[in-house]
Amino acid sequence: MARVAIVGVGHSKFGKRSDASLRELAFEAYSDALDDAEIESSSIDGSVVCSATHYDKQRSPAGVVAEYLGLNPKPTFNVEAACASSAVGLRTAWSLISSGLHKAMAVVGVQKMTELPSRDIQELMGRAGDVMWESPFGTTMPAYYAMYATAHMARYGTTEEDMAAVTVKNRKYGTKNTKAMFQKPVSIEDVLKSRPVSTPLKLFDCCANADGAACLLVANATKARKITDRPVWVAGLGLASSPMALAGRHGPMTSFEVTKNAAKSAYEMARVKPSDIDVAEVHDSFSITEILNYEDLGFARPGRGMKLLKDEETALGGKIPVNIDGGLISKGHPVGATGASQVTSVVQQLRKEAGDVQVDGAKIGLAQNIGGIGMYAAVSILKA
Amino acid sequence: MGFEKFGQSGYLSQTKVTPLISYLEKGVVVGTRCKNCRKLYFPPRADCPDCRKSEVEWVPIDGKAKLITFTQVYFAPPAFEQSTPYILGLAELDHGLRVFAPISRDIDLKELKPDLELVLKPKQAGEGVFYQLEKPA
Repeated sequence: MARVAIVGVGHSKFGKRSDASLRELAFEAYSDALDDAEIESSSIDGSVVCSATHYDKQRSPAGVVAEYLGLNPKPTFNVEAACASSAVGLRTAWSLISSGLHKAMAVVGVQKMTELPSRDIQELMGRAGDVMWESPFGTTMPAYYAMYATAHMARYGTTEEDMAAVTVKNRKYGTKNTKAMFQKPVSIEDVLKSRPVSTPLKLFDCCANADGAACLLVANATKARKITDRPVWVAGLGLASSPMALAGRHGPMTSFEVTKNAAKSAYEMARVKPSDIDVAEVHDSFSITEILNYEDLGFARPGRGMKLLKDEETALGGKIPVNIDGGLISKGHPVGATGASQVTSVVQQLRKEAGDVQVDGAKIGLAQNIGGIGMYAAVSILKA
Repeated sequence: MGFEKFGQSGYLSQTKVTPLISYLEKGVVVGTRCKNCRKLYFPPRADCPDCRKSEVEWVPIDGKAKLITFTQVYFAPPAFEQSTPYILGLAELDHGLRVFAPISRDIDLKELKPDLELVLKPKQAGEGVFYQLEKPA
């Protein structure tokens, strides 16, 4: 199998970016990635623009993004998989490069969310579920994840304090990430006292809508070695789907089959097992999601996710540090940019450039990105 | 047209399974059964992906339900803001079918726990018609 590497990563500041438009955010991340790789646009032969386009005022944003980045007339198109858009963008670029059609591509994840009035955001959130059978009852994004939380609490005794501890951990690491939306720590008490959103989830159990962009420069092995002496190899890619309707899913609703399926493909392709992973970025759209992800990725046995957390095994210095860049809970969640942001943090770890949160001897990293209410999941495994 | 009546605030109006609305108005919860392979679908489907046939018949669904999970929604989409907080549930029906539905306002959040026996019943509210999970009689 042809080898494909990430040769550069870039990241804008995430948050309420009322100073910048979608295309300008994309430029920040792309330019940052070119600087990181020490190359110019002439080395890039196409772009994959990843965004959940229903948030964008610009229809088909790849058009203006490619233009603004100076990448015309090279190929460009949009990839959309809700919150997993740029993880799927990486898979797309991997395939295009493996096929020989391209040699080096820019995967640009970008989202502009805070410009929309909150009512429009709420309306969009209402259509996050199956619009035929579930949205007509008033579903929301948090409500779906809350239902997994209710089931996990009842079956395994996970508590609201356990979930709050995820937020506390991630917000602690968010203080070290200058690109994060939130850089102040919170306490268990702060989380428990925050207002209810959808029981048992409260405001601080939820990540925030944000604006931002992240960029991955991806190249074939020959080109990668020419560009950099520190390529990070894409060792495994897993992608799976699941019914969008909750009623179409199986089991006790205490795990995401879609993550398990994506993880299985990624581990097989990379020829590694969960215990080989040195550092991970997982989709903490909600605090409960991180606990489920530990179990679904095989870091903990079913029902033992909260124990892994309490034993500080997912903290820096633990067996498998998770979301030590602050996670979505600190960084904010500019939907289309999140997958590329996670991969950026893993790449920095594997290059030993993670500063205060560097995991000693990190050689194999994993990023897991869930799309929407769990109809897509992508798992990417990277090796130094 | 006609499917816009489904739910408290529907999003779609056009589908091949619009007859569900008139069944619900008559007080019957129905699904569809593939005439070829006999597979039962709920919510109803016009097409069977297993045998790729599109001839289905309408069949009543037994309302006996067992709660799997639930949440009480405080932060809602605009069309539902006046109704907060409201409870949504996922329940198991016979034949391995599942239903996502609102839980009746007669039931308090404190009474709910997984495995609780409930019943799925048609419900009309304003212009809308749908089904909801209620206490067994």
